[in-house]
Amino acid sequence: MRLFSGQRAWVVQRLSALLILFLLVLGGGWLLFGPPLDYARWHAFATGVHGGPVVVLLFAALCAHAWVGMRDIVLDYLQPRALRLAVLSAIAVVLFAVMVRVLLSLAAHFSLGP
Amino acid sequence: MARPARPLPVFLNLFRIRFPVGAIASIAHRVAGVLLFLALPPLALGLDASLRSEAGFEAMRELLAGPWRGLLGLVLVWAAAHHLLAGIRHLLMDVGVGSGLAQARASARAVLVAAVLVALVFVAGWLA
Repeated sequence: MRLFSGQRAWVVQRLSALLILFLLVLGGGWLLFGPPLDYARWHAFATGVHGGPVVVLLFAALCAHAWVGMRDIVLDYLQPRALRLAVLSAIAVVLFAVMVRVLLSLAAHFSLGP
Repeated sequence: MARPARPLPVFLNLFRIRFPVGAIASIAHRVAGVLLFLALPPLALGLDASLRSEAGFEAMRELLAGPWRGLLGLVLVWAAAHHLLAGIRHLLMDVGVGSGLAQARASARAVLVAAVLVALVFVAGWLA
C-alpha cells in the first residue's frame, strides 16, 4: 500500500483539491457568463483541443482525490487484511473504470478542428 | 462467540464518546466524500450520454433541471456543498488561517449550517 501513501498522499489530496476547486470556479463562470449551454456548444467544448484536456484533468483530479480519501477511510475503519485488500481493489477498479470511460467518450468525439 | 466480559474503555464506546462540533463536521466530510465517490460512475456515464447525441444531452439536462428523485438530489447537493466548504476550511487551516480552537469551532458550525442551507436553496429552486 505504498502507492499514494504518507506525505505523498497528503500532497496529492491537497493539490487535487485545489485543482478541482479552480476548475469548478472556472466552469461555473463559463456557465454563468457565457451564452446558454446547448448541445453544439457543449460538444464543441468538451471534445475540442482546449476543453477535452480540461475535462480529463478534472476527472483525473477527482479520481486521485477520491482514491486518497477512500483509502484513508478504509484504513481507518477496516482492519482485517483480506477485507482491506478486497475493498481497496474494488475502489481502484471503479476509479480506473471511470477514467477509461471518460477517456473513451472524449476520444470517440475528439476533433482538432474548430 | 464468547468474548471476555470486561467493560470497554470509555473512549472506545461510541455511545459515550462526546462529539464536539468539529468532530461532527469531520465525520460529515467523510460521509459526503463517500457519497461523492459513489456519484463518480454515474457522472462519467452522464458525460458520455451528454456527448453522444443531442437527445442524450437533453435527457441529461432534464435530469439535472427536474426535481430528480427529490431526496437523492438533496443528499448529493448537500454532499457536494459540505465537502467543498469543509475542504476549503481544511485548506485554510493548512496555511494557518482559523486553526485556533474557538475559530475552528465557529467555522465547523458555519460549514455544517451553510451546507444544509445550500441544499435547501437548491431544492426550493426545483420546487419553485
